[in-house]
Amino acid sequence: MITRLSISTLSLLVLLTAAAATSAADADSAAFYKDKVLPILEARCFECHGPESELKGGLFLGNREGLLEGGESGPAVDTEALEDSVLLDAINYGSYEMPPDSKLPDDEIAILTAWVKAGASIPEGSELERPEIKHANPATLVTDETKNYWAFRPVANPAVPQVKNSTWVASPIDNFILQKLEQAKLSPASRAEKQQLIRRAYYDLTGLPPSIADIEAFVNDKSDRAFEKVIDRLLESPQYGERWGRHWLDLVRYAESNSYERDGTKPFAWRYRDYVIKSFNEDKPYTQFVKEQLAGDEFEPPTPDSIVATGYYRLGIWDDEPVSQKQALYDDLDDVLLTTSQVFLGLTMNCARCHDHKIDPLPQKDYYSFLAFFSGFKRYGDRSHESVQDASIGPIAINPEDRTRNAARQEMDRELGEQDRKINHVNRRLQELMTPPEKEDFKAVEVRVDIARKYAGKGLSNKLVDDYAAAVLRRKEILDTRPSEVAQALIIKEVGRKPRDTFILVRGNANVEGEKVEPAFPSVLSPPDPVIKTPVMTESSGRRTALANWIASDKNQLTARVMVNRIWQHHFGRGIVGSSNNFGNIGDKPTHPELLDWLATRFMQGGWKLKAMHKLIMLSSTYQMSSQASESELAADPANKLYWRFNMRRLSSEELRDSVHAANGSLNLKMGGPSIYPIIPQEVLAGQSRPGAGWGNSSEQERARRAVYIFIKRSLVEPLMADFDFADVDATCPVRFVTTQPTQALSLLNSEFMNRQAAVFAEFLKKEAGTDSANQVELGLSRATQRRPTKPEIDRGLALIESLKADGVPDDIALKYYCLTLFNMNEFLYLD
Amino acid sequence: MTESNFCGRTRREFLWQTGAGFTGTALAGMLSEDGFLENQAVAADGETAWTTPLAPKKPHYDPQATSVIFLYMYGGPSHIDTFDYKPKMKGMDNKTIDVKTFGRGGHKNQGRIVEPRWNFKQYGECGKWVSDLFPHKAEMVDDIAFLHSMTADSPIHGSAMLMMNSGKILSGSPCLGSWTTYGLGSENQNLPGFVVMLDPRGGPISGAKNWSCGYMPASYQATIMRAQGTPILNLAPPAGMTSETQQKLLATLDQYNKEHQKARQDNTELAARIANYELAFRMQTAAPEATDISQETAATHEMYGLNGEKSGTFGKQCLLARRLVERGVRFVQIYSGGNHNDANWDAHGDLEVNHNLHAAETDKPIAGLLKDLKQRGMLKNTLIVWGGEFGRQPTAEYAKGTGRDHNSYGFTMWMAGGGIKGGTSVGTTDELGSKAVENRYHVKNLHATILNQLGFDPNKLSYFYDGLEQRLVGVEGAQPIKQVIA
Repeated sequence: MITRLSISTLSLLVLLTAAAATSAADADSAAFYKDKVLPILEARCFECHGPESELKGGLFLGNREGLLEGGESGPAVDTEALEDSVLLDAINYGSYEMPPDSKLPDDEIAILTAWVKAGASIPEGSELERPEIKHANPATLVTDETKNYWAFRPVANPAVPQVKNSTWVASPIDNFILQKLEQAKLSPASRAEKQQLIRRAYYDLTGLPPSIADIEAFVNDKSDRAFEKVIDRLLESPQYGERWGRHWLDLVRYAESNSYERDGTKPFAWRYRDYVIKSFNEDKPYTQFVKEQLAGDEFEPPTPDSIVATGYYRLGIWDDEPVSQKQALYDDLDDVLLTTSQVFLGLTMNCARCHDHKIDPLPQKDYYSFLAFFSGFKRYGDRSHESVQDASIGPIAINPEDRTRNAARQEMDRELGEQDRKINHVNRRLQELMTPPEKEDFKAVEVRVDIARKYAGKGLSNKLVDDYAAAVLRRKEILDTRPSEVAQALIIKEVGRKPRDTFILVRGNANVEGEKVEPAFPSVLSPPDPVIKTPVMTESSGRRTALANWIASDKNQLTARVMVNRIWQHHFGRGIVGSSNNFGNIGDKPTHPELLDWLATRFMQGGWKLKAMHKLIMLSSTYQMSSQASESELAADPANKLYWRFNMRRLSSEELRDSVHAANGSLNLKMGGPSIYPIIPQEVLAGQSRPGAGWGNSSEQERARRAVYIFIKRSLVEPLMADFDFADVDATCPVRFVTTQPTQALSLLNSEFMNRQAAVFAEFLKKEAGTDSANQVELGLSRATQRRPTKPEIDRGLALIESLKADGVPDDIALKYYCLTLFNMNEFLYLD
Repeated sequence: MTESNFCGRTRREFLWQTGAGFTGTALAGMLSEDGFLENQAVAADGETAWTTPLAPKKPHYDPQATSVIFLYMYGGPSHIDTFDYKPKMKGMDNKTIDVKTFGRGGHKNQGRIVEPRWNFKQYGECGKWVSDLFPHKAEMVDDIAFLHSMTADSPIHGSAMLMMNSGKILSGSPCLGSWTTYGLGSENQNLPGFVVMLDPRGGPISGAKNWSCGYMPASYQATIMRAQGTPILNLAPPAGMTSETQQKLLATLDQYNKEHQKARQDNTELAARIANYELAFRMQTAAPEATDISQETAATHEMYGLNGEKSGTFGKQCLLARRLVERGVRFVQIYSGGNHNDANWDAHGDLEVNHNLHAAETDKPIAGLLKDLKQRGMLKNTLIVWGGEFGRQPTAEYAKGTGRDHNSYGFTMWMAGGGIKGGTSVGTTDELGSKAVENRYHVKNLHATILNQLGFDPNKLSYFYDGLEQRLVGVEGAQPIKQVIA
């Protein structure tokens, strides 16, 4: 073994000497290239940079031109300074490391070095042909033709088409729909039954079922305006904002924690949620809603709403311990850019981060020019809780006169100061006690009480630790309940009036800066130059205001189209453009492009108000169709692309949960404020590294509030919500999945939550319907389905209860099991 | 490369939604590439009858492995104290040397060597050097392929674990088990296709993010299975409800649902929900049967270390893993270690105490699992993967003590079974194990190898999301590690 080793060492030495001794003339010879260099290139480099490769990084090493032209990292061989050639740097594992899987053996490095130093010549006849890389898709170039793509053209105001069956038409929307149906020789379904229609309307606008009284009033109202009155009432109800605000929260990746190891809580995130709900309820013009979220801090002057709205920027995931701070900054900026371009514009600009967009005319330069609007952005924080306070938390009211001192406020301040003193005292003591790893962990606020507990009786008295824990809780409570004039919120802050410079990053790598860019809108939209004014009142660049003004404008080709499409989507289950975050080439084509433009025009003309759009849509015959299938239509258009009927839909996870509470009479309609914590089973908490950490307690009454108020922890999504396809919590979610899986059946049948609610339902029925079983069953059925049940349906329920009783199941439990059955019915979960 | 390459160069007709929304049933069939769609039993067009998204599907090629058991050593075991033999470090203890490291303590250029704390011996026909930490596993080296040159993008637990499980350091992507069930479905509809078992001391940091289905529908989410009590959440009927009662209740439910369905025959989701109650009912019997280890012999219990004081829990989980795989479960991940600090392999303090504990907990169970699978002829179809999110540094983290910080520049993982060439070792780290130097492999190569063994071209198994064809191995793609493939 020893002998073998020395022989190989020896031969290596010989080789090295041979290579080092290669004269420049030899290294320049044709034979040297063919015998020594080419075999190495073939074996080590050509897989990625050879004649049959896809030319990674744009580099071709098979001919002289390729060497000199190089790739994205510049020329491979520098004829001015051969020794400094990138090729040599890379094989020696300098700033590049090639080949990436392992460094070449020394003898091979020596050969390539000799060759490059001698000028890297390639003899005649050995030059290889550069492979043809598929030419850029013409759709990805910014040209007059691509600018003429339907979504990039100005919004048109199309004429309302003529139709044959004009008696069906209740709204111009119907003309657009019916025209296509008539062309396809399809007939619209009949009108939905009134009970179905009001149930549909209630869930669509409020996410809650109608009461039997509501339904009967509607059924008995024979006036022409009966449905319109229902719509008006629902649009005025505060539950409207909770339902439609939640659609918005899906889009802006709303969650209240950061993900990653600590998954720490985002302070005051719930104020953003309340802002969204309030904005929908106030029927705030969409343009204002956009401006507040994108640049509300730069308003002169800002309002409490406009400040809270900028929490928009802070809702994403945050790695508090990133591998590279620089790359992390760009990941965070990408999150903002991705969300902004997809949500407000329906553009997947994020696909142009590392290279030009492969599908749409969005060059990489446009990505970074767009990114430049956000380049004043301070990262969410820098590891510690205190850094988050500095970078992302600020007061809601900025006017000094709002901060009127009063006795209550003074008392709160005094108490807050008292808690702070207790907390800081223990924090200081802990700094002396903790081990270095604990000090590192201590930067996150979530673990502080846990760490303090470890030192209870070991450096800190038990009482001191208990007081510490209480003070931390009390402090949070005070901050969460302070009146708005002194409250804080999660907001954006910039680095100052002068933002960072923005560069194109080569292949998206934060360490390889290319050309410097200035803020600009995507060129394919033929936009104006941004008008950037530095704000007077805030320490920021004013760039986001320019962006917001361009997006929230009648001139923007996409903003109104994208938003009316979303409104349509949530009424019909599918947008006119199905891929509602992607209006580009790879997205779905609009099924009714003229209708989309007609709606967008109405939306803008009406002052960008949503409520008018809901009414417009819901008063159409299209919306009021039955979901019943007819055979010929089903055969011709099974996916209902042309809207020959209304689409049935399953309740969303929130609607399901809220409906359970609504049916059993426990629903608590209290609005707003810090989030609630349903009970999460131990089995699920066991998945956390500190089971139960970051999950609070709420009273039973609080837990019966609407699901939109449930705390959204990225690593611990409430299981019933998760089972029923709650929105993706890490990224913008334009369309939720609707899955059907056995875990849903198991959770609706067996979960502690459902069984507890079934018991509440049984109690409710006994109280409301008296002791008669038939009455109880009848009331239960009607509350679950929002219609009067038939006799056979009641008898079926009675039969179950009787049969269970015969088995010895106590009366109360039998009724409870029947209630559980009601919660599992398809009719409970599905709308016609 | 073909069109399935990054950002999808051609426009395909993507099924964004069918009927009322974005349905998981439609998406399940959205694997690109020729012939693949046709193999699927699912309603890829959104129009044919409903089939469960977990129905078994054929991969691109005939697979070597039909199931995976991923033994996840949470916290990051030290490679130089386990399988990556560094004889030259002998006698270097406490010497301060120049070495570049990057861990949670940041970038350092110098450090104090902590000599490997265990003796190494050679085992098997292949003569593999293994430390005294793993006397049982060492006997199985001829079935194992060691990857000594693993690298990862992050030396920080949160992002590194996401990388190991989902291929990305950013939160939000589906993990390996979701990709597997998305691609292959599951052989046994009465059991979940993707099972995770946790350490009783707690989950790993970031909890459920480690087994999240990310942007894929919930059909591909993991099911947590417990070694004690009711194996799966909501599996058992509530206290006091007998099976007979439940059956009566389900019969009544079925009558209501069928009547409701009458006028809505075309809606396949309603039929699917009805079918799922039958499935759920069957799961209630199938899962307890699968987890009932009293059916196993005393010898088997002993082989898995079930009687050992320290190895009992992990042993039971390994045995359960075999029983699940036997019953057609596709992907099982077991976490060794939970919670924080020394409750897992994260040996920042006393290296010896930490690794002695976790090795004692897992050594016999893992060896038992390999032996048992082998004797039952199951090892050839079951791919075993062992490792953590990274390895550990050769130097000490602090001025005193033997604690090692994280190391993602070079670390060891191993694979066995499922068409993997046993008795091999590929890649090397430098003399200190501070970084991989020869045949460096990235976590993506490991993922590519796993997918390859399952019958997939890792660069073609894709899922359309956010404007592009997403892949477990990422936009740039990655090749399987050919040297370890039999």
